[in-house]
Amino acid sequence: MSNRLSRLVPATAETPVRSAKPSHPEKHWRLPTDWREMLIGYGLILPSFWVFLVFYYGPAFFLFYIAFFHWNIFASQSQFVGLHNFAILFHQPVFWLSLFNTAYYVVLVVPVTTLLALALALLLRESAGLRGGGVTRALVFLPHVTPVVATSIIWVWIFNPNFGLANALLRVLHLPALNWLASTHWALPSVMIYTVWHSVGLYTVLFLAGLATIPRHVLEAAQMDGARGWLAFRRILWPLMGPITFFVVILVSINTMQTFSQIYTLTGGPHGGAGGPAFATTTDSLLIYQTAFLYLHFSLASAMSVVLFGLILALTLVQKLIADRFVFYR
Amino acid sequence: MARRLAVYVTRAVLAAAFMAPVYWVFVIATGYHGAAYSLPPVWRPLFHFGPLTYVWTHTHWTRYLLNSVIISGATIILVVITSTLAGYALAEIRFPGNSLYFYAILGVMMLPQQALLVPQYVAMYHLHLLNSYAGLIIPFAANTSGIFLFRQFFKKLPTSYREIARLEGVSTLTYIRRVAVPMARPAVATTVLLTFIASWNQFQWPLIMTNSAQIQPIELALSHYMQAYEANWRELTSAALIALVPILGVFGLTQRHIVNAVAGGELGQKE
Repeated sequence: MSNRLSRLVPATAETPVRSAKPSHPEKHWRLPTDWREMLIGYGLILPSFWVFLVFYYGPAFFLFYIAFFHWNIFASQSQFVGLHNFAILFHQPVFWLSLFNTAYYVVLVVPVTTLLALALALLLRESAGLRGGGVTRALVFLPHVTPVVATSIIWVWIFNPNFGLANALLRVLHLPALNWLASTHWALPSVMIYTVWHSVGLYTVLFLAGLATIPRHVLEAAQMDGARGWLAFRRILWPLMGPITFFVVILVSINTMQTFSQIYTLTGGPHGGAGGPAFATTTDSLLIYQTAFLYLHFSLASAMSVVLFGLILALTLVQKLIADRFVFYR
Repeated sequence: MARRLAVYVTRAVLAAAFMAPVYWVFVIATGYHGAAYSLPPVWRPLFHFGPLTYVWTHTHWTRYLLNSVIISGATIILVVITSTLAGYALAEIRFPGNSLYFYAILGVMMLPQQALLVPQYVAMYHLHLLNSYAGLIIPFAANTSGIFLFRQFFKKLPTSYREIARLEGVSTLTYIRRVAVPMARPAVATTVLLTFIASWNQFQWPLIMTNSAQIQPIELALSHYMQAYEANWRELTSAALIALVPILGVFGLTQRHIVNAVAGGELGQKE
């Protein structure tokens, strides 16, 4: 294959054209066409296959191995301990706390993000004919492309209890000032605010794409029959948007369950790596990070990962099943 | 008319709200000393670039910026190559296992990244890739959405092209390079842009992979800087500005393409 690469595109005098002579000497050692085709196919997928095998599938299987063994990265021997790691895990209050925090975070972020994204998408669609729609769309999407640490810096300032923007806003509204990231009650909600700001643009764009697939004449026909505003939304748009909404809800859930960077930067890293004051923001991904990379308990962290793996895989499978059912919308 | 005005105003307010944090990075970074502590908050930037020059010259930001450029550049090149090859194989070549590989890639998409962190780290440890550029690049050298995107484009190529190329004795690689890829330019642009954004914004992977300042990308350097300079807002925001400007520039120039690409197929991004 490689020596053929050096040849020029047009057939030259030396290049054997298949139709020229049936008994060309080269034909003796040439593989049959479908064999050649097969080898080319395998050759082309090899680079990506290698990466997926070594860095994704291999680790995915290895994860289950470590979770059932007493295992240390620096020691060579390992010992099968069955469910022992899980037993230790289930006896640790911080594990249950991390699951609670994750659930709290997901349960609040998912509906807020989804509804806000839907509202923004409807607004942008409403104003599609007006000037500057593209700019608004881009500005709503912009936070999503910003690096998390770089923008977390300004959000730490915004959440500063003394001179931050958040409390300045509360003062204008005559509401009591909050301690935000330094408070056990408000640390996780502060991260939620950041997450919604950072990611809602992505889902707005996905909703816009979903809205674009709804034929205009359906809405126009409904308007002819007198369905406007809320009624048109409730009776026409909303039922048609079921599948895309479901897709977004699952996607937000999967992404929020795995949030790490903003929790680490806003509350974990600079404040001792513990995930906020008194474990207030220690979610599953933060606990896995700490257990493995700060305390070097790889087996325990793997057991936690297995739990998270199961939860997310279940969500993903539900999403795939539903998406396949409504495939005519895509 | 009133309705139109209401839409305009709501839209403007929303856009401003989303932009505000990014705008304040600039306000604080270029404001007067103590602007961060002002009550009520300062609204207008003063264009004092003193802190920015100080940060630029007193810390190794050129090094970190270079690291980020090397890592994202190499990732982009590798992703485009692997996506093109695998996308072409899936779209055009019949071999046993073609559809199996398609589902295997779909499976990679479904693997939860946070749960794989520990075993992936172990794999990197055994491959001796900790603290190396390769360790920050190779795991992201193949991208599932990239492969699917190229596959979609290559499926649209007329089969007669390939027949002609075969009769002319053109090798598959030459055909991909000379014919298929030039016809899939939008896919190349999308892959380059989305990979750049994902790669530039990487934080967690470099955090666990490196402890050497020599190779850390700018996001990780920023995180360390944040811990060291906890309340020096002008320096912190100036440093943040260094990491933000490239991404804002790229987004500003190509936002239409990026937003459409994301709407077409979701962004397979890791945070």
